[in-house]
Amino acid sequence: MVMSVPYRRLLMLAFLLVTAFCALGYRLVDLQVLRHDELRDWAKNNTQRRVLFEPRRGEIRDVRGNLLATSVFVKTICADPTLIGPHAQEVARAIAPLLEVNEAELAQRLQPRLRTNELGNVLTNRYVVLKRKVKVETWQSIQDTMEDLKLSVDETQLTRTERGFYRNLRHKSVFADSLDDQQRVYPNESLAAHVLGFVGVGERVVDGERVIETTGIEGIERTLNSKLSGVRGWRMTETDRSRREVVPFREQEVQARDGLNVVLTIDAGIQHIVEMELAEAIKKHTPISASAIVVRPKTGEILAMATLPTFDPNKPGDFEAAARRNRVICDISEPGSTFKIVVVSGALNEHLVTLQDKFDCEHGQFYYAGKLLRDHHGYGILSVEEIITKSSNIGSAKIGFKLGEEGLHGYIRSYGFGDRTGIPLPGEVAGIVHPVKNWNKLSISRIPMGHEIASTPLQMVMAMSTIANGGKAMRPMLVNRLEDQQGRTVVRYQPQMVRQVVSPEAASQMVQALKTVVATNGTAPKAALEYYTVAGKTGTAQKPPYAPGMYFSSFIGFFPADDPELCISVVLDEPKHGYYGGTTAAPFFHNIAERTASYLNLRPELPVPDPQFTNNPKQRPGLLTARRN
Amino acid sequence: MARNRKNEAAGVRFGPAIKAVLLCLFIAMAAIGFVWQKSQIGALGQQIKERELKLSELKRQNKLRSDQLAQMRLPSVIDMRVRELRLGLVPTQPSQIVRMVELPYDGGQVTMERPVASAVRGGANNQ
Repeated sequence: MVMSVPYRRLLMLAFLLVTAFCALGYRLVDLQVLRHDELRDWAKNNTQRRVLFEPRRGEIRDVRGNLLATSVFVKTICADPTLIGPHAQEVARAIAPLLEVNEAELAQRLQPRLRTNELGNVLTNRYVVLKRKVKVETWQSIQDTMEDLKLSVDETQLTRTERGFYRNLRHKSVFADSLDDQQRVYPNESLAAHVLGFVGVGERVVDGERVIETTGIEGIERTLNSKLSGVRGWRMTETDRSRREVVPFREQEVQARDGLNVVLTIDAGIQHIVEMELAEAIKKHTPISASAIVVRPKTGEILAMATLPTFDPNKPGDFEAAARRNRVICDISEPGSTFKIVVVSGALNEHLVTLQDKFDCEHGQFYYAGKLLRDHHGYGILSVEEIITKSSNIGSAKIGFKLGEEGLHGYIRSYGFGDRTGIPLPGEVAGIVHPVKNWNKLSISRIPMGHEIASTPLQMVMAMSTIANGGKAMRPMLVNRLEDQQGRTVVRYQPQMVRQVVSPEAASQMVQALKTVVATNGTAPKAALEYYTVAGKTGTAQKPPYAPGMYFSSFIGFFPADDPELCISVVLDEPKHGYYGGTTAAPFFHNIAERTASYLNLRPELPVPDPQFTNNPKQRPGLLTARRN
Repeated sequence: MARNRKNEAAGVRFGPAIKAVLLCLFIAMAAIGFVWQKSQIGALGQQIKERELKLSELKRQNKLRSDQLAQMRLPSVIDMRVRELRLGLVPTQPSQIVRMVELPYDGGQVTMERPVASAVRGGANNQ
């Protein structure tokens, strides 16, 4: 059969159409079915974006709400050298002063470079970090500078493509990284540096996203890092060709939850007083270090904790490791005579002695177990109260004999020596308390005067606070509460009693004895206050290797003695120009106590003279103007 | 008997034409409305973005100001300023404080008392 020509053409056309439709159909199946997953992921990668929201790290405030540490968002400034081309020198000259970096070095980093990766592909350096932690204001200045950048070309004579290059150079060659970063700021610089600690910054990948993390390295920043950090938020969204967000296509969104604010028990005013007085102590006695702690005995709240030499947490790397160490909790030493409170209060609690009981102090020389035990001055018969007043080693050793090894060891442990106090700071050490089985024959005569044992200054001040608090040992408190960003309290910490170490009666008798220490015949008359009765104890311990001039001098006292508000410890490590605790540390206890009482407006315990309203500041010490002895 | 359509008057049938025009108009309006709404969504999205940026900037400025204020109120900074400006400010001394003892209401009389040891025992200390 022969088909007509039109019919053949029609058939051919139909065949072509069917073939074309088949080809299109195959392509459709290929795109929509066979390569569906691959293409879907590709399309998502092109448009979908996950934006991470950085939570603001919580602030640290003192008990009165004064700011001790805060965070500000900052930028990481980067550059794309391929967009800068031959103008690296001019760009560097314009922005180096704003970034506070060396111009020549910056110009070097802005040079376009080629490199080959492991796959053999040639790559350009399109992402160069110029500086991290740049303030937003500085970044705005950089943007303005780049926009007004004068270059050594006549741009009116350029082609359209060349003009595009210079437009990109001005607007896109220097940019801020989209990753949010924040800088920790300590506005008081070194104030309470050892308590606050400092932070470090690290970069890590979370769910495939690069993030910059600020982490506490030391102090409260480290202990409460999880509370301060907050929780990162995110948003799933889509972007257009220019990588601008298409807001209507936003999907999931979870806002970042900022970190909690930490309110410390520290009072910045008292901390300032303490640090100023320690600076004076350093100037006067040039010790290796000077430390002080101010505690409320009734609650265990720490109002101030300072150690000199100190550091600036804004730039911790500029200081030696020794300056960054919190000696109040990390360093141990033999406490010396301040430790006599343990043996005497233990003996009083066991009714083994009374304050009036007499002991023969052997005129300053006492042989025990073949070794000589000395007093600084030769005393004959002394009462228990006088043993404390004069700080007799022989007398306290004889009280220790009465208490016995097991009894003495029990009270030492009961006061908390040999255990960490539980203060929320990293690096606290427990000190050294040997078990009774490891004691030698001399131990029972040496431990009562604070030898053969090692404690931290914090342990000693907490032991003294126990006496001041009627025999109740409190856990040291450094954090008052946690607040959210709106100032609502999330957690409030309460004072915690650890145990009743001695009875209130024994503690009261001990206070009576300690009051005599600051009397004119005691070891620390310079610690006495004008309007308050003070109870306290001096300590002068030799340091290993027990060479001349190597002393650990201290004074720990509290006031008002019968209803204590504050317990203060001052410790000087190897002071010069005198080494007795009563002559080196006690005057600074006096200054701190006097100024702190004035700052807190403590009601005077003793009668005060008639009001004298005078404008002469030299007559009156206080927070703002210190009186020097 | 059926009418002869050949002899029928040649009148225009407007009904279907109007329907067709209305349908076209409806489709056109719907299309324009859709595009307009899309445009509005896009414009509002841009506004949202701008306002978010503004809010973020205002929050930053607010934080900056509150930090500046907090810094100026720090005891150490106040102390330093007092020294710099030589204002001669000193804290009140116990001898300069007159303490009022609050007694039960006795007809409006107020007793003023010097602080002595016997008066303060058992009383609040931190005032």
